[in-house]
Amino acid sequence: MLQSLLPLLIDGLANAALIFFVAVGLTLVFSVLRILNVAHGSFYSIGAYGAATLGLWLVSAGANPWLSYPALLLSAVFVAALFGPAIERTLIRWTYGKGEAVQILVTFGLFLILEDLQRMVFGVQSLYQDTPMTLLGITQIGNVVYLNYQILLIVLAVLVLVGLRLLIKHTRMGRLLAAVVADREVSEAMGIDTDRMYMIAFSIGVFLAALGGALATPTTGVAPGLGAETMVLAFAVAAIGGLGQIEGAAIASVIVATAKVLAVYFVPALDSVAPYLVMLLVLMVRPQGLFGVAETRRV
Amino acid sequence: MLSVKNLNVEIAGALILRGVTFDLKAGRTTVLIGRNGAGKTTTLRAIMGLQPKREGELRLADTDLGAVPGYARAGLGIGYAPEDRRLIPAFTVEENILLPAYAINMNRQERQRRLEEVYELLPQLRVMASRPGGGVSGGQGKMVALGRAMMTATRVLLLDEPFQGLAPALALEYAQALKRLRAAHPDVAFLITESSPELLAAIADESLQIERGMIETAQTQPA
Repeated sequence: MLQSLLPLLIDGLANAALIFFVAVGLTLVFSVLRILNVAHGSFYSIGAYGAATLGLWLVSAGANPWLSYPALLLSAVFVAALFGPAIERTLIRWTYGKGEAVQILVTFGLFLILEDLQRMVFGVQSLYQDTPMTLLGITQIGNVVYLNYQILLIVLAVLVLVGLRLLIKHTRMGRLLAAVVADREVSEAMGIDTDRMYMIAFSIGVFLAALGGALATPTTGVAPGLGAETMVLAFAVAAIGGLGQIEGAAIASVIVATAKVLAVYFVPALDSVAPYLVMLLVLMVRPQGLFGVAETRRV
Repeated sequence: MLSVKNLNVEIAGALILRGVTFDLKAGRTTVLIGRNGAGKTTTLRAIMGLQPKREGELRLADTDLGAVPGYARAGLGIGYAPEDRRLIPAFTVEENILLPAYAINMNRQERQRRLEEVYELLPQLRVMASRPGGGVSGGQGKMVALGRAMMTATRVLLLDEPFQGLAPALALEYAQALKRLRAAHPDVAFLITESSPELLAAIADESLQIERGMIETAQTQPA
């Protein structure tokens, strides 16, 4: 029994790690900017395309294969630097305080633009670049076999979770972000450049999504439609954990990934619905999500 | 120190401030008296840049505040305690007090020096330092907001209805704290708003009356 469960567990946690990167970025952006970014998943797929392209280029150039690891990180940094500030400064900033309908329409428009942009730049064929995964090899304990790359994903997700917490709790930037989340106006009066904080938070969100995408390419590859798929899953995770809750996103990622893996194993037909069934169940009992704080709506 | 000239502010199409004009002088305590809705809070918010002005001029010494974004005004030496306190609930009292110092990137030495001064002038804050901002009473919250404003108030201190809703004992403490503060900083300009004139008569050097967004009368007590 244990021998069949262990690979499931590792599979589940590795999946959870990938979902977590996207969902935590979504939730972070929501808690600071108060906007639900429908285009968030596009940054995941752009990060994935970037990583795959860069990795394939490194291989064809005959570079040291270990360089494919920094390439994953580099792709995420590049995507965040290129898209984060530019998109926040132009499109997103315009929607602050404009009501959810406008925000969703604008970010949905952005999503469509980014999807087409990806087709233009990367074409419609799927890319596959698994050097980082094959380099690490596999581990066999008894009859249990797993990919070492999966362990790496889990470790990285934990590092990101802990790192974000430390950033918010113990750095100047983090304290200022927390103040802006709690009360934008008084933060401004106390001397915080809140516009800049919004831009930083949005860019961190883009970075986390792109990092998730980059880290996912070695195991799943990247193809058109990845952004939309990821987006919907990240929404489910953020809703289950409670919007704006970092630890909530982590736990919800584990729950959703576990549900998915169990479904694949026991009821394959329910594979893609499983996360949303979990979401339905959770939201029926706790509409604000597992760790969310109910807020009175101010009009 | 701070001069407000012909300030007009419009909120949702209604003119809330009409031609508000006054000067805050270094080392003087100015009291702005008016009923609820007269425009006291709006005046302070406009000075802090939280409320855009339609017309008029705001100057801090030689600086045109109109050209300075709201967030940069604290760094110029203006401390502001809003009427509703607005502490960050998840931060401790001390973290709340330190927030403006972090925000304007004050160096460590100066930050510690000012914090120590806040604790000296408002000793009750030292006792509450590690309590969460969301866990102090309204009156204590006013004290914390005063301490927080003091962190940046090297030139101007703006207090919005600090005595509103304070229990008598706390009000007395607050007034004494203001006196100590005045003695410690003889060159800072204070602006305090209040709805009843009696409360602040003892500490006011100048008093302004605001009614329906207009300054009605100005009185100067002999210095």
